[in-house]
Amino acid sequence: MFSFKRKSTQRGSLALPLTRERRVDARGFSRWAWLAPSMVVLAVLLVTARLGSYPQYVASLVISAMLTGTGLTLLVGYARCISLATGAVLALGAYGSVLLITAAGVPLLPAMLGGALLAGLGGFVLGVPAVRFRGHNLAMITLVFQSVVIILIRESTGLTGGAGGLTVPAPSIAGISLSGDLAYLVFTAVVVALVLVLPMALLLGRFGRNLRAVSGNEVAAQAFGISVPHHLVAAFVCSSLIIGLSGALQAPVFRVIDPDTFGINTSISTLAYPIVGGMGSAWGGLAGGAVMRALPEVLRGLADYLELFFASLVLVTVLFFPGGIAGQLFRLRHRHGGQVTRESVPSAASPVARPAAGKALPDTAGIALSIDGVGKQYGALKAVDDVSFQVREGEIRGLMGPNGAGKTTLFNIVSGFVEGDRGAIRLHGETLPSGSPVTRMSHGLTRTFQHVAVFGEISVYDNVAIGLGGNGIAPVLLGSLLDPFPGGDARRERARIMAALDSVGLAHLARAKARQLSLGDQRRLEIARAIVSRPRLLLLDEPVSGVSEEETGQLGLLLRRINREQGITMLLVEHNIGFLAGMSDHITVMAAGRVVCEGEPASVIDDPAVQEVYFGKAGDA
Amino acid sequence: MTELALVLLGGLNFGAIYALAALGIVLIHKATKTVNFAHGAFVLIGALGAYIVQVQLSWSAWLAYLLVPPAVGALAALIELVLLRPLRRADAFSVVIATVFLGIALSEGVRLIYNAELLTVPSPFQGAPFLIGPVILTREVLWTVAGSLLIGIGTTLAFRRARVARGMRAMAANHRGAQLCGYSVDRTYALAWFLGGALAGVAGVFAAPAKGISPDLPIAVIAAAFVAAVVGGFDSLKGAVAGGLLLGVVETLAAAYGDSALKNAISFMLLFVVMLYRPEGLFPEVKTRHV
Repeated sequence: MFSFKRKSTQRGSLALPLTRERRVDARGFSRWAWLAPSMVVLAVLLVTARLGSYPQYVASLVISAMLTGTGLTLLVGYARCISLATGAVLALGAYGSVLLITAAGVPLLPAMLGGALLAGLGGFVLGVPAVRFRGHNLAMITLVFQSVVIILIRESTGLTGGAGGLTVPAPSIAGISLSGDLAYLVFTAVVVALVLVLPMALLLGRFGRNLRAVSGNEVAAQAFGISVPHHLVAAFVCSSLIIGLSGALQAPVFRVIDPDTFGINTSISTLAYPIVGGMGSAWGGLAGGAVMRALPEVLRGLADYLELFFASLVLVTVLFFPGGIAGQLFRLRHRHGGQVTRESVPSAASPVARPAAGKALPDTAGIALSIDGVGKQYGALKAVDDVSFQVREGEIRGLMGPNGAGKTTLFNIVSGFVEGDRGAIRLHGETLPSGSPVTRMSHGLTRTFQHVAVFGEISVYDNVAIGLGGNGIAPVLLGSLLDPFPGGDARRERARIMAALDSVGLAHLARAKARQLSLGDQRRLEIARAIVSRPRLLLLDEPVSGVSEEETGQLGLLLRRINREQGITMLLVEHNIGFLAGMSDHITVMAAGRVVCEGEPASVIDDPAVQEVYFGKAGDA
Repeated sequence: MTELALVLLGGLNFGAIYALAALGIVLIHKATKTVNFAHGAFVLIGALGAYIVQVQLSWSAWLAYLLVPPAVGALAALIELVLLRPLRRADAFSVVIATVFLGIALSEGVRLIYNAELLTVPSPFQGAPFLIGPVILTREVLWTVAGSLLIGIGTTLAFRRARVARGMRAMAANHRGAQLCGYSVDRTYALAWFLGGALAGVAGVFAAPAKGISPDLPIAVIAAAFVAAVVGGFDSLKGAVAGGLLLGVVETLAAAYGDSALKNAISFMLLFVVMLYRPEGLFPEVKTRHV
């Protein structure tokens, strides 16, 4: 089997986006950006409060739609899961809150919270299939959820009133009636303004960053300790909590809720919010929700053509303005935004920020990585056949061999992406669990990828921030909510991230989106992301494949410097034998799944066994 | 026993329509790696074509079978050209979104032109039904089931044997490899969408007398066809036919011996069970592994 697919696709095209897209990252917001949407909501309140009763009624719905849209931004815009179940989630929130009021006599606010929690539970049920399915399959499963919830509501006539609907009691808090349009608008605006800060903090913080990393490149996300299932389930739950609350807030405006209010058509029209508003932006759903909920009321005369108009609007957005409303707005703001190239190539002498606890240089002959009798079989093919070798602490070990030698499989076993059949991998004496890439980072093992795997849609800075670790779902959610407040370790993290970026010469591009970088710079970014956590072992999978000869030399110098100054042990797979020989302290040669030779670069390259592997037996030609 | 036979026949009748719709989705997905969520709207347009030919123009029903499928196919190829070709470099996400809203736009367009809750199309047959013992077999059911099966088998064979389908087969097996061997992506994609659209058109013409033409038709058809495709293995043409027939029978059984809610829920239960326990479907396509 020739491995054409993996080895040589798309190399040339990776550098293209640079010329097309020169905007700087839109996430250069101030620390208080998460408060802005609440301000917008209050501004809507101030404007419409002076108008008549009908605009106030519309404003309540628009503000709820802004909340729905923000919930969808989390799931659709950031996690890029297509959900066709929004109608059902709104229904859970609405029916849940109304039934708590009418059947259990719960006061308004706790009832709404209860409705949101019910919706959040629904989100959990929805999120579990997301662990296994993606793309159109996941979209269909959300459609299943949508249909089943609506069928259940329609059939449980005793509880929900079935198809006839359920009358929503007049809302009131502590005896104060909220049934007037103005009173309810004030209530909605205040609740939404208070609640919106939570999803905004999640979107602008670590959680949003990690979701975009997951939707950009799941494999790389796992290598840096991001559990994809945890993050996707959390995205479903958080988004459903928010949408459920929005459903609960809408119910009193409708006065009667019935299954048709929350049918598949509602799911589809709300799905348009984050798309029209702008997929990549934290503001997208908010903007889309406001516009798409307000327009039908403005264009009442054309009510019949609205759905056609909206569907066409989405198609036009997808085709011509993939950034949506928010994308267009930011384009105006950043028309003269920074250019994204490295103006000056940092020389080998450029200062390298030394990590605080630089390890002593390793002459101790300690063993960093020990591979013992590892084997992996695919069908009849022994990809890796009883391989054992050890990498000393602080050395750069090269791994070479012709195509099909088993290098990549071995690499994937060490980094946990492939489960070995036999043998053990030990890092500083600790046995690494087989087949669990997410845990590798906590053992001090990071890697780069043969095909650059930076997270294109987030900033260079955020890419490195993910490399710092701490990507478990609980610290990520908590951190998103706490980071906006002063104190904590955000500043220390910042220093470390900038130091890592500085050491690869990308500090001045910290705010650029990773996909805007050239291929060589993306390789540098991968290195920065892999070393910022000061790993004990760095796996480099063809770090110079596809980059220019000049750039290859620079990357080589860079890696050597990092190895010497930070004492990071490296295991390096590379087809460029000149590069490998220049870099490595020792080289291991594999062929047909076995180690054929090991030693100093010069002696390995002269070894007859190695020459036979590459060139055939002497005299054959 | 008689009742069961009648129920089964009714189920096969609907199942045949699902099978044709699923066949189009699978064909397009095989060749272009696109899941067409607008397929329900294509079926709606096919059914509308039958209405135009048979009711508005008062032509023979057979002309509907002859004229409508190529027309819907041409529309699908046009949509591929105008809408999906520019999106080919975008990710799968944008394409799915585009087909979802394309479906809405098409069905809304139909609704605006024919502002009616339900349009009915007469059956092409007036003759007396066949009696097999106590079981009544109408000519329409026989025609729908037999016709769909023939088209399904024909499509499967054509995809496997015909020269024109070789490009689609190649794309299905190895997209990039097919390109390197000189198969034109543009032509192959246009052909796949034409054939997929034509299959949707046939499904629509068959569905028109049986189900009537209503605004609910697209979503009902796309959900059923998708379930049928998943049950069949999503990339298997014969799986799509089998899945469609199975779904039709299961749904009708649920409606006959359960209630309407069970009928609506059972297809989703079927989908869920298959996805959880046999995600590769009943007829998994053999995938070669690249090491």
